[in-house]
Amino acid sequence: MVTIGNLSVFIAFVVSVLACAFILVGLMKNDIRFIESARRSIHGAAVITSLATVALVYLFFTGNFQVEYVASYSDRALPAFYKLTSFWAGQKGSLLFWAWTLSLFASIVAYRTRKETQSRATSYIYLVLAGTLVLFLFLLSTVSNPFDLLSFVPEDGQGLNPMLQNPGMIWHPPTLFLGYIGFTVPFAYAIAALITGKLDAAWLKKTRTWTIISWIFLTIGIILGGQWAYVELGWGGYWAWDPVENASFIPWLVATAFLHTAIIQERRNIMRVWNMVLIVLTFLLCIFGTYLVRSGVLQSVHDFGATGLGGYFLAFLIIVFLASLYLIVESYGELSTDHTIESFLSREATFLFNNVVLLAVAFSTTFGTIFPLISELFTGKKITVGQPFFNQVNTPLFLFLLLLTGICPLIGWRKASASNLRKNFLAPSLIAAAGTALLFALGLRGGYPLTSFGFSLFVLVTIFNEFRGGTRARMKLTGESAFKALPMLIYKMRRRYGGYFVHLGVVLIIIGITGSSAYKIEKKATLLKGESMKIGNYELHYDNFGEFEDRNRYVYTANLAVFKDGREAGTISPERRYYINAKQPTTEVSIRSTLVEDLYVTMPGVSRDGQITLSVTVNPLLVWIWIGSLIMVLGGLLAIIPYQKKRLA
Amino acid sequence: MRPFNRFVVIASLLLFLYLPTAVSALAVSEVEESLLCYACPGEPLNIDRCGGGDKMRAVIKQMIAAGKTKQEILDYFEAQFGEEILTIPPKRGFNLVAYYAPYAVFLLGILAAFLFVRKWVASGEKKSLAENRLDDKVLLSDEVQKKIDSEIEKLDEEE
Repeated sequence: MVTIGNLSVFIAFVVSVLACAFILVGLMKNDIRFIESARRSIHGAAVITSLATVALVYLFFTGNFQVEYVASYSDRALPAFYKLTSFWAGQKGSLLFWAWTLSLFASIVAYRTRKETQSRATSYIYLVLAGTLVLFLFLLSTVSNPFDLLSFVPEDGQGLNPMLQNPGMIWHPPTLFLGYIGFTVPFAYAIAALITGKLDAAWLKKTRTWTIISWIFLTIGIILGGQWAYVELGWGGYWAWDPVENASFIPWLVATAFLHTAIIQERRNIMRVWNMVLIVLTFLLCIFGTYLVRSGVLQSVHDFGATGLGGYFLAFLIIVFLASLYLIVESYGELSTDHTIESFLSREATFLFNNVVLLAVAFSTTFGTIFPLISELFTGKKITVGQPFFNQVNTPLFLFLLLLTGICPLIGWRKASASNLRKNFLAPSLIAAAGTALLFALGLRGGYPLTSFGFSLFVLVTIFNEFRGGTRARMKLTGESAFKALPMLIYKMRRRYGGYFVHLGVVLIIIGITGSSAYKIEKKATLLKGESMKIGNYELHYDNFGEFEDRNRYVYTANLAVFKDGREAGTISPERRYYINAKQPTTEVSIRSTLVEDLYVTMPGVSRDGQITLSVTVNPLLVWIWIGSLIMVLGGLLAIIPYQKKRLA
Repeated sequence: MRPFNRFVVIASLLLFLYLPTAVSALAVSEVEESLLCYACPGEPLNIDRCGGGDKMRAVIKQMIAAGKTKQEILDYFEAQFGEEILTIPPKRGFNLVAYYAPYAVFLLGILAAFLFVRKWVASGEKKSLAENRLDDKVLLSDEVQKKIDSEIEKLDEEE
């Protein structure tokens, strides 16, 4: 199987190089037969890369520890469930996963465009996809081969990092990769449009589903990463503004900006240059994230260290950047249209301002992430900026963005009238102001949190009004009841209402973030059996202590009875684990989650006589982050359900 | 399990089962989030769980017990390890770039967007004037205009 794996990677590399060569020759000779060969080569590369993937999975499941990668990330005691996740636990496997997914995506595109091979644009799309695939397969067959063998056969592997032995890790890396890789497709279409001069909105319409699906995957990946950090790392938070986290968030922000202005180009055929810039930037930032993780230039909680791949990614980044820049500058005349906007008070204008804020957050996050490099360059000191810095700089920008989330959809296309503004904004503004005053009266303090809750309320009311207004209009038009009119409205206008669901999700996430960061309570305590501790409205009573061996680990667990406002509210059982092969202790968080707050307990210390140290956090409203995330993803999915083509009677 | 492996596991377990002491909680975590672990470059102390981090936490605990404020503790660590140890760099010298560059870019972006929109609005007005000169403007009632708008919107949705 090792030979099959090695050969597959190498042959896939050769086949994808051949695909590029066929395309170039086909374009030069203007001969469609070469393009057809390239299309078949792309399918071939997908099949062969799939074989390499199967080979690596097989090696993990059969425990072939002579393969260095298998020995580094698994052991005999590792549950089968996690043997699959070991595939992408390290750099070599994740590169193979990336190449495999890209080859499948390229194959899907090649299949869907099989009747369009006579178009030059199709050739360029193939060239970009196959060219990107060449990079990954080249790295896999030369400097980062997951099938490399050790000179000896170890008795057992080193095991998977205990931190990665969490269900969240099954989906977090692949979904993130799917998001990153997915943006290669719209990027390829954009480059093809630039080269061929077909610069209308056709490329946007063709790639709309790819763009939204990639955005959804990136969103899921980021959320699962946060969820994993929350339940696994045990520090009570979900987002630490770590360079690798930022590396996924930055392209998400730019992709979100792109999703908005793509709508404008589709409807008004303006902002063509801007959309080209945004999709190129999104693709570059996806590769930049990969570069950051693998170059070792920045210190991160979960990078791969200096892997020797940084130079290759940097070279690729520079080439793509310069080539894209050249194409955009070259096509500028054709790209720039006779822009007209009727008014500042139009959706087109507010979308542009929304773009500015999204890009400002992307810039501040990028700047903060690479600030250690910048400061080292100018001052000789590597100044790292952390969570408090990012919170301080980005919070005002996020608040502005939140406000725009409420304003943009309420302003009509082309030109909004004063009466339209009054009608749409008066009630939400008054309700938001009254709500904020009520929260203040209830004892909530803090400028940012109160502003955040106020703006959130404003957006919630505007979204509610949209649903209510639409349902009423449909009821009037069709005579349907509200129960039928609402779902029909959502389904019939799913693209628009999908967007509203995404906005609703964003608002709920912001409410969760605000509550859990501004009003969080933390306490540590050391307890003996029978003792209690108090935090907020909670009292935790330490009942008993247990220890046992479970597969690849020793487990120490404390059982605590939870009382809220003096009433019994269940039990909580934090664990301390010791992974035998990895020789690494970890803490397993125990969470009691309600819609109001999370009681979050970790046990950083245990002694043999059963004395425990507890770290307890009460995170208000935190669960709304996960609920909002789910709504966001469902809204995205709703927006991509295709509309049936109308047939002539 | 081989005797040597068993020895390693037991020895590690003994190390792992340390006797914890009471911690004055909230203040420690408040200070933690503003520091990086000196032993794990780039890793915030509130996330870090290594031995080096434990030493720093112990020092923080002692200083809190001695009545030091958060700023005094941060100053102490800055004096020991340089400002590289802080997660929120002091607002002075080159660090000011980190604080103000994002807002400068944001304001420039807003200004650029404003100028673009103003230009596009002006060009839209010119176009509209020209169109008005060629044809008689058809005046529609609010109700009809609203209906047309909603139909166009519907068509766009179902596109």
